[in-house]
Amino acid sequence: MARIRRPGLLVPAAALALSGCGSPQDTLDPHSPQSGDIAALWWWMLAVAGAVFLGALAMLGLAWLRRSRRGLPFFGESERATTGLVVAFGMVIPATVLVALFGVADLYLIKRTSAPAAGSSAMTVDVVGHQWFWEVRYPGTRAVTANEIHIPARTPVRVVATTADVIHSFWVPELNRKVDTIPGQRNSVLLYADEPGTYRGQCAEFCGLQHAHMGLAVVAQPRARFRAWLERQARPAAPPSAARARRGRRVFMANACSDCHTIRGTPAQGKVGPDLTHVAGRSTLAALTIPNAPRELAAWIRDPQAVKPGNRMPGLRLSPRQVGELVAYLEHLR
Amino acid sequence: MAIAVPREAGPRIERLERIWRERPGVMGWLTTTDHKRIAILYLFTSLAFFAAGGVEALLIRTQLIRPDNGLLTPSGFDQAMTMHGVTMIFLFVIPMSIGAFGNYLVPLMIGARDMAFPRLNAASYWIFLASGLFIYGGVAAGHAPTAGWFDYVPLASKQFSPDSGIDFYALGLIFNGISSTAAAINFIVTIFKLRAPGMSLNRMPLFCYAFLAVSFALVFALPALTCALLMLEADRLLGFQFFEVARGGDTILWQNLFWIFGHPEVYVIILPAFGIATSIIPTFVRRRMVAFPLVALAEILVAFIGFGVWAHHMFAVGLSQVTTIYFAAASLIIVIPSGIQLFAWITTIVTGTPRFKTPLLWIVGFIVLFIIGGLSGITFAAIPFDQQLTDTYYVVAHFHYVIFGAAVFPILGGLFYWFPKVTGRMYHERWGQASFWVTFAGMNLTFFPMHIVGLLGMPRRQYTYPPDMGWTGYNVIESIGAYVLAAGLLMVAVNLVVSCFRGARVGNDPWEGDTLEWSTSSPPPAYNYAVIPRVTSPYAMWDREDREADVENLAAGEKVLEQGHETPAVTAVDAEWDEILEMPSSSPWPPVLALAISGVFAMVILKQWIAAGVFLVAAFVVLGAWHGKEPQEA
Amino acid sequence: MSDVTRSMEAGAAGVAARVERRRRSMPSGWWGMALLIATEFTLFASLIASYFYLRFQASTWPPAGIEPPSITLPAVFTGILVASCAPVYGAVRMARAGRRPAAWGLLAVALLVQGAYLGLQLWLFVDDLNTFSPADTAYGSIYFALLGIHHVHVAVGLLLDLWLLGVLAFALTNYRLIALRVIAMYWYFVASVAVLVLLTQLYPSL
Repeated sequence: MARIRRPGLLVPAAALALSGCGSPQDTLDPHSPQSGDIAALWWWMLAVAGAVFLGALAMLGLAWLRRSRRGLPFFGESERATTGLVVAFGMVIPATVLVALFGVADLYLIKRTSAPAAGSSAMTVDVVGHQWFWEVRYPGTRAVTANEIHIPARTPVRVVATTADVIHSFWVPELNRKVDTIPGQRNSVLLYADEPGTYRGQCAEFCGLQHAHMGLAVVAQPRARFRAWLERQARPAAPPSAARARRGRRVFMANACSDCHTIRGTPAQGKVGPDLTHVAGRSTLAALTIPNAPRELAAWIRDPQAVKPGNRMPGLRLSPRQVGELVAYLEHLR
Repeated sequence: MAIAVPREAGPRIERLERIWRERPGVMGWLTTTDHKRIAILYLFTSLAFFAAGGVEALLIRTQLIRPDNGLLTPSGFDQAMTMHGVTMIFLFVIPMSIGAFGNYLVPLMIGARDMAFPRLNAASYWIFLASGLFIYGGVAAGHAPTAGWFDYVPLASKQFSPDSGIDFYALGLIFNGISSTAAAINFIVTIFKLRAPGMSLNRMPLFCYAFLAVSFALVFALPALTCALLMLEADRLLGFQFFEVARGGDTILWQNLFWIFGHPEVYVIILPAFGIATSIIPTFVRRRMVAFPLVALAEILVAFIGFGVWAHHMFAVGLSQVTTIYFAAASLIIVIPSGIQLFAWITTIVTGTPRFKTPLLWIVGFIVLFIIGGLSGITFAAIPFDQQLTDTYYVVAHFHYVIFGAAVFPILGGLFYWFPKVTGRMYHERWGQASFWVTFAGMNLTFFPMHIVGLLGMPRRQYTYPPDMGWTGYNVIESIGAYVLAAGLLMVAVNLVVSCFRGARVGNDPWEGDTLEWSTSSPPPAYNYAVIPRVTSPYAMWDREDREADVENLAAGEKVLEQGHETPAVTAVDAEWDEILEMPSSSPWPPVLALAISGVFAMVILKQWIAAGVFLVAAFVVLGAWHGKEPQEA
Repeated sequence: MSDVTRSMEAGAAGVAARVERRRRSMPSGWWGMALLIATEFTLFASLIASYFYLRFQASTWPPAGIEPPSITLPAVFTGILVASCAPVYGAVRMARAGRRPAAWGLLAVALLVQGAYLGLQLWLFVDDLNTFSPADTAYGSIYFALLGIHHVHVAVGLLLDLWLLGVLAFALTNYRLIALRVIAMYWYFVASVAVLVLLTQLYPSL
């Protein structure tokens, strides 16, 4: 796929500084044909908008310079000329520019970024928005995970986005536009990553207290690596061999953890919180809020409300030893 | 050029003074039906709400000045951002433009002595005040709404927002809507019926065209909001299922109804500002407006087309492609009448001889900011781009440029422009210009970086953000900008307050203005005009012969109408004199009605249905008493 | 100028009628009521649009377990309300001719008919409530909301009638003549909306 070129000379310095500015959710750092098209559209619109703005500033500057003289340069005080100017610059020229914009963006480009039809892509991923995490399922397999979506690179993937509660919005800026998750509806968006990498996304429709901490990551991998990952995700949790992890498993099942979370292959079948079957394989926790490392995991278990106030996970009364054992068990769930 | 008072008119003017004299003291203000006093009440009340909304904004910006900040809890932030939107839109900008500016100036500009329904006018004010107190009462009681100013379901449903904050929001806005509807009806009837005889529609100032358009927009837009809010409260309080998908309801029904109101609402916000701009420009560039008929038509068209674009707020929701393309096309069409007006203003400034005094500075600032806001708005009509950038800070930038830049800047300019008329004193010019520059700088510092940070993927309405997103620097600038902006606004306030007491005294017409209000004294007498003006063009003050005719009429006792609280009523289009109306002088019923209606809403939110019914009956009794007192001669 | 009418001086029926005839354009009160009707009509339009919006989202309408409404009684009752516009119109004509007692009488007749209409409709409303609930389905919610808001408008109209009968018992001034005209307009509006609401309500049975 050709990378999109930006209109070189017309780009203001500020705009140049923007691209590749370091944001992992940069709409102007596209990694797919769709987001590339949208970014290119932006640069062209910016150029035209910049020209219009500068033109208007020039006219205001002219007003300042000629403030003691009446009438226009050349045309003088002719009412016909001034009305003609208003019609030309206020109606005719804008109409032309707008029709052009409409044609390019709303008749042509929209077809390239529109929702993919069922069956048009190589695979489908079901994403369900919850307050405040993303449930991820791979139809046709048993794989269920949360917040981290792996896809094969350079493959069209159809994401079908739904919600379990309120309106959320599935958005990975560097790959494509956003799509709201509406109760009762199945909205879809195409993800096609140009190259392997991790692309950050975030819920983009205000959904309550922890809307700010509802991130997601799309990990595009070479096909073989992806297949291996998917196959592992489909497997149930292996029983732990280490003693500490075994004790942790008992802590998990004996306490409220199993009421909310599912660990496939165990009695824990809770549906409130994310599936934890392979939680240790994820890079972050709590929807990209904290890194997935033993210290942070322990802090999270001890007091989830301190990390993500208002989220649905209560703090449990566990001794430090129990927390350590739990962490050992969860770390085992790769 | 003011009109001189001939000696023969003395006794008649004394009679006018006596008939129109207000009741003294607090009772006078409580029972007033004078449009000017009501406008002043609206002015101070909406300024108080502006301050509240500003505090909410500063809380938001201070919270966001650095990542993972702990100034506000998530709930506190959600309350602040919701109340900021609700306050600024419903309790500040609309009451300020329509209640303060419209009320004070429309009757003056059309040569009338009051609005068509003076008691209804007073009731609009008291109901507005009551609705604002109702909503903030909820906040004070710990029940602020937290679902954003457009309050999407299911988040706003009982299940996901069990707290009664949403009920204060919904009931409060229904309450507030009564005020706005009444005001809109009043303006339309006033503009059609109470113009000075001879002021046919094509001789009416552009300011009044803007208000006509605004009022029609409110009349047809508010009911959609009322419908949505009634449905929401029925779901929340009575268990109805309008929005519950499992029971046949629909989530998007809320969004459609809300935005059918919400989009015309933003034109309601901006059109009065256009009216203010079209008043200030001719005066300060000493030239008639270029393409006057086109501008008048454009003002009406904006309001009209504004009803056909609402779903452009819903492009990410999953509408059919045909639907989205239609709404994008309509949204592009509406650019044209705005472009016409912009161009007419700029051309008028270029072809005139501008004096860049404070009011004109604010209008030039408005033009620059409106262009930026308008351009970012146009980018949203490119559907794929909208679907990337909607719900990010890019949108926040866009609407603040159009609301703050294109509505508040003209309001500030208007405050300076009409300050001498209302107070009889002049503000401090240098200080005024300085306050403009500080506010302009603060405005751009706060909102311009939001375009960038939105393009960098920062969604709106988040109470904090991580440090490694590349957003921090921009947020710091925005937050500093917010304080600069606040400083600029403070400078405006100090200037105007101090000048109220220490400003140099002025006569009728310090600016050589073009519209009728400049022909009467500063401040105007309670009866506005000793003689009903003769009008033959939209620039009444620049028509020497007409103003001289006024002096002659006054001397001869013609068109003085001093036999009661009198004003002429005319035919709607051609302004032929039809009858003489007798206006009410003062009445206790409007504030009492507001109290009764407050009782209804208070009882509903407490779920005391019988008590609510009692207050409702009381409200009807008040209306009966009100209409039992027919306006009589003095 | 001196021959322009001072309308408020009209304190008795004959004078008020004369003032009314001399007017060349609609009085302010007429405009005010017309605009109020515009807002209320838009409210009903929003409700009716919502009804059809919900209908077209649904596969079965009404949902299973709810019978489509019967046509006869609602139609007859609506006919009664529409018919009440005749005495209302008559009252206005009498008032414009300066005949206060006749106007009062016709208005009283109208009030009785409208009151009967509301009573009958409320009887049907309660009966419906005993059959299915607005809290069960969106169909029920919009059905009862639409009818309920219409009935509220009728009730308000009855209160307007009562007030008018009260003041007209004493005198027919210019103010009260305009009030009668605009309240009549309100009833024409309510009757028209009643027909639209009826058609919407009966839509599944048509």
